[in-house]
Amino acid sequence: MSEPAAFPQNADDHVAVVYDELRRIAASYMRRERGQTLQATALVNEAYMRLAGAPFTDRNHFLGVAARSMRQVLVDRARARGAHKRWAGLNRVSLTESLVRADSEEAMLPALDEALTRLEAAEPELARIVELRYFVGLSIEDAASTMQMSPATLKRRFALARAWLFRELTSLRT
Amino acid sequence: MTPAQRARVRDLFEQAVERPRGSDLRGWITREAGDPVVADELLSLLNYHSQAGSFLDAPLTEHTPGLLDHDEARFQPGDVIGTYRIKRELGRGGMGYVYLATDTQLDRDVALKVLASPLLHDASQRERLRREARAAALLSHPGICTIYALEEIGREFIIVAEHIDGQSLRDEISSGRRPSGNDLLHAARELAAALAAAHARGMTHRDLKPENVMRASNGSLKILDFGLALMDVGADIPGSPRVTSPGSIIGTPAYMAPEQINHGVVDARTDLFALGVLLFEYATGVHPFEAASPMGVWARVLEGRATELDTLRQDLPPQLDLVVQRCLQKNPADRFATAAEVVAVLAQEPVRRRVEGTQVFWWRTHLKVVLAVYVIAAVASWFVNEWQHGLGGPTFALVAMLATVGGMFRSHLLFAEREHDRAAFRRELVRATLPLNGVDLTLAAALFVEGLWVSPGRPIRGALISGLGLGIAVTRLVLERSTTQAAFEETPGAK
Repeated sequence: MSEPAAFPQNADDHVAVVYDELRRIAASYMRRERGQTLQATALVNEAYMRLAGAPFTDRNHFLGVAARSMRQVLVDRARARGAHKRWAGLNRVSLTESLVRADSEEAMLPALDEALTRLEAAEPELARIVELRYFVGLSIEDAASTMQMSPATLKRRFALARAWLFRELTSLRT
Repeated sequence: MTPAQRARVRDLFEQAVERPRGSDLRGWITREAGDPVVADELLSLLNYHSQAGSFLDAPLTEHTPGLLDHDEARFQPGDVIGTYRIKRELGRGGMGYVYLATDTQLDRDVALKVLASPLLHDASQRERLRREARAAALLSHPGICTIYALEEIGREFIIVAEHIDGQSLRDEISSGRRPSGNDLLHAARELAAALAAAHARGMTHRDLKPENVMRASNGSLKILDFGLALMDVGADIPGSPRVTSPGSIIGTPAYMAPEQINHGVVDARTDLFALGVLLFEYATGVHPFEAASPMGVWARVLEGRATELDTLRQDLPPQLDLVVQRCLQKNPADRFATAAEVVAVLAQEPVRRRVEGTQVFWWRTHLKVVLAVYVIAAVASWFVNEWQHGLGGPTFALVAMLATVGGMFRSHLLFAEREHDRAAFRRELVRATLPLNGVDLTLAAALFVEGLWVSPGRPIRGALISGLGLGIAVTRLVLERSTTQAAFEETPGAK
């Protein structure tokens, strides 16, 4: 095992490490399995296998960091693909409708990311739950064990986070 | 809102969503909240909760699968970088992008590896990359893709390499057509020779896999990216967050040797493990540690036995079986020490094919018969004890004890032969030799003496017991040695 001291102590640096790794693995998937849909959960599992051990104290710790990184990867991709423009093109009614139908998710990502950052400032735990459930795609049970709470509690808190974010996204723009 | 109010909202929200439909929610909120700020916030959130529909319901990548798979290309066909004109993209990987390009000065096709920007953060990383590229460029072997140049153009860091027009071994494996035994032997020889040449220069590959082996249009095999695995994003670069020496996780999970997975010392023998996996997959189309998930493959690589190659392909030259089997050993010390040894074994003329089935069967039978003989010896000594008091007691005790110890050792060998891989079993076999010699010869001597001792009164029984003793000695010294050799010695002259 490597020396833990060799790793940055700052959690943001860990995020950068995992971020690079996720991008790398995503890229190598494209090369070897053309035509197959790449799921975030599979990607995070593979990143875990490659990065397991220091600096991550355990799988839960890793998943927390990986979820943050996965959020960055996906939001960056969406930005690079012009999500902002498509988001700006939606009027308020069509915006609410498409959020409810979940059919413009890519366009919404930068705005969701910003809303999530605001949620994080007030309720960091809720933001983490959203990252695990929505960005990594963990099941209720897996996310609950990562957050070390009961599945029922996780489900209710996720519902709260979802209501909060939905309000942010629909009411901010006039 | 204060943190206390927020906490109150959270608690009440959680209670509210659990309340049965149709109950008087508004009344309940007013009663429970008390504080109008909390009540308003709660009402608002519950309102949005009920309207949110499918919002965030399913994981993002389920609805927008293209998001992860898609990445913007760095260069477009026709772009010119330095003296190179891009023709098309060949692929992308952890290191960056690979393009087919024309060197406009020399008028030849080259492969450009444009390294990913995370690699290029600071001067020390760039220096490290230069060193790696220089070392890789020193390799010159027909089985290794040649590196022509290292270009630093603007912010780009580009490795210019020989363009190999052909298919990768991965393509061949996916095509479903399996190579003949001879083709496979030929491929193994080429790859081992290329590895040996690189290892002799102190270079290890660390990421050998079917994707990294190309069959050129003239039919020969070439290994790509030699020495470049270290360039994988940030790996092992001083000052980068991914310093994980001595064994940073470099490589592709399915081709990693146990010591790579365990962050152990990685050396030439690590490449030999990957060679074993690669040859196995090329021969059969399946991974020797096949499992339902990548995690499962790792678990099998670390703990489980490899599938035996000859259970899937009975038509392969035996030295190929042997090479794959030894390359797949978990302990690097049990593999070949160098790729040159692999070359030597593969160069041999086909050795006598080991028909493991029958010989191992006879070895097992032999051991079981000896176990039965131990019981007979103990019973015979018991009778001697009944017939002749005095010395009979101690000799019976001695024989019974020896039979028990010998029985334990032999049972252990039978067990080890079933459960361990060949190398581990062979170690057990060597370990057991001395104790078993001691046990059997002492037992034989004791029986022989007992026989002589009872023979004045009971000549026939005495002769039988002495004979049993002699038989045990001869069996141990002559017969068991030959059955063991026949069953487990694979190459002539091997110990």
